[in-house]
Amino acid sequence: MATTTTPPRRKPPSRASVAINYPLDWLEERSGLVGGVKYFLFRKVPGDTNWMQTLGSATLTAFLIQAVTGVVLAMYYKPSPNEAYASIVHITNDVTLGWLVRGMHKWGASLFIILMFLHMGRVFLFGAYKYPRELNWIVGALLIPIGLFEGFTGYLLPWDQTAYWATVVGININGTAPFLGPFIAQFLQGGAEIGPDTLSRFYSLHMLLLPGAIIGLILLHLYLVVRLGVSSPPWSKEAAGMERPEDVQSGNGRPGLTRPTRRGGDA
Amino acid sequence: MATGVDRRRAEFKRYKEDVESRGKPFFPYAMWHDTVMSLVVVLLAIGLACIWYFDSGEDPEDVGILGPRYTAEADPGTVSFIPRPDWFFFFLFYLLRIFKWPESVVLGTVGIPTLCLILLLALPFLDVRPERRILRRPVALVAGVLVIISMGVLTYKGATAEEGGAAGGDVVEQWMTAGDLPEEARPGAELVAESGCLNCHTYRGAGSSNFGAPDLTQIGAQGQGVDFFHRYVANPRDFGNTVMPVYESLGEENLDAIATFLDASKNP
Repeated sequence: MATTTTPPRRKPPSRASVAINYPLDWLEERSGLVGGVKYFLFRKVPGDTNWMQTLGSATLTAFLIQAVTGVVLAMYYKPSPNEAYASIVHITNDVTLGWLVRGMHKWGASLFIILMFLHMGRVFLFGAYKYPRELNWIVGALLIPIGLFEGFTGYLLPWDQTAYWATVVGININGTAPFLGPFIAQFLQGGAEIGPDTLSRFYSLHMLLLPGAIIGLILLHLYLVVRLGVSSPPWSKEAAGMERPEDVQSGNGRPGLTRPTRRGGDA
Repeated sequence: MATGVDRRRAEFKRYKEDVESRGKPFFPYAMWHDTVMSLVVVLLAIGLACIWYFDSGEDPEDVGILGPRYTAEADPGTVSFIPRPDWFFFFLFYLLRIFKWPESVVLGTVGIPTLCLILLLALPFLDVRPERRILRRPVALVAGVLVIISMGVLTYKGATAEEGGAAGGDVVEQWMTAGDLPEEARPGAELVAESGCLNCHTYRGAGSSNFGAPDLTQIGAQGQGVDFFHRYVANPRDFGNTVMPVYESLGEENLDAIATFLDASKNP
């Protein structure tokens, strides 16, 4: 927790530091946000964290690329079958740097998906989904199908042949699911055939519901990361939480048991 | 007697103490790595966008190494377009080549993906041993490697899957003679060969099998009749098939021709 202990001041603070601190103190007194950010930034992480452990923040960066470029695209894109294709062509060929924004959104989607899977692979490799981080694994695992669904809904929006026919088949496949399948397919399609209602539905899901769900789950994910801490690479000699020889020898052992070694524990 | 619960609580307590006493602050140490990696991600996105844009042209036919800027405008009337998902669905796409309509297609569309998702969500409850080193987790190691291999193979197979596309007129001639088809089946055979049917169905080895669509070579053998095939192709929904698109837009004449051809395809 953020315990802000102010050290005793030796000399009166300079004008500059007063000028900088005043708004921060003001904000802190009224919200506690400064302390929160300080806690986030200066919290301790194990000394042996690894490059592989940057994949999570890389995934977040890919999502932020999608969010920013998506907002810009939404300023020019027109979600109706008569105008969608023309607006995509316009964005790509005419709007200043429109090609870059659309290109980053198109390829950022693939990066986001790849990074999600790599990040998941890292967590699996490290066994970092184990106690007490089970819930955070579930939150992350929920982000995968939601992320894929985001990819599916976004694919229709350019309203070109690839988009249209991939969606026809995608919706039809949804329809084969037992029980709820036909209802889901009907809901996605929004009518007798894929048309204006489908497009606006996909647009709404793609830019409101699904990103909202993703943002909420990411925040929960980050909260749990900060609360529970980042795990050390399990092979590290310095791994945090591991029973150390000095503890065993001195017998003053920290309360707890030796790290399961040979038999992998009998929990 | 310490239980497993006590044990893992003690280990986590020890972890917190170790991090507190010997860890590094997130800023600047870990954050530095995160920043470098994030920059790499942004540069990759920009790089891919540049290659994609500058290697393609305004014309949908002007395809670069990273594909076209867009394909032609959506046209619900076409029947010859090959439906293909985005690359990250290739594994599902290929899974559907393995399962056939109607017996097992639900396994490919829903069964296996749902099962995988449930296993993924349940992982922390299936693997409750405290051991985290991968070499001492043989089941997890084997399962992980198998998942990577199967996803990799399915994605690769999906990416390189042969396109059925339209078959030439010589195929029709071969179908007519080899299957000993009556002459009235010829217009339907030509439609099947030239429009999109072979993107998902196979016929005498032509075409590619996708989305669980059955081989049509002996489709008429059960004697369901011309009318049945007409109604089926026009609207597969009436027969509980929700995968195949609706082809009512082909018109009565074309549907009749296709139905005649399918009904004649007994090929004993």
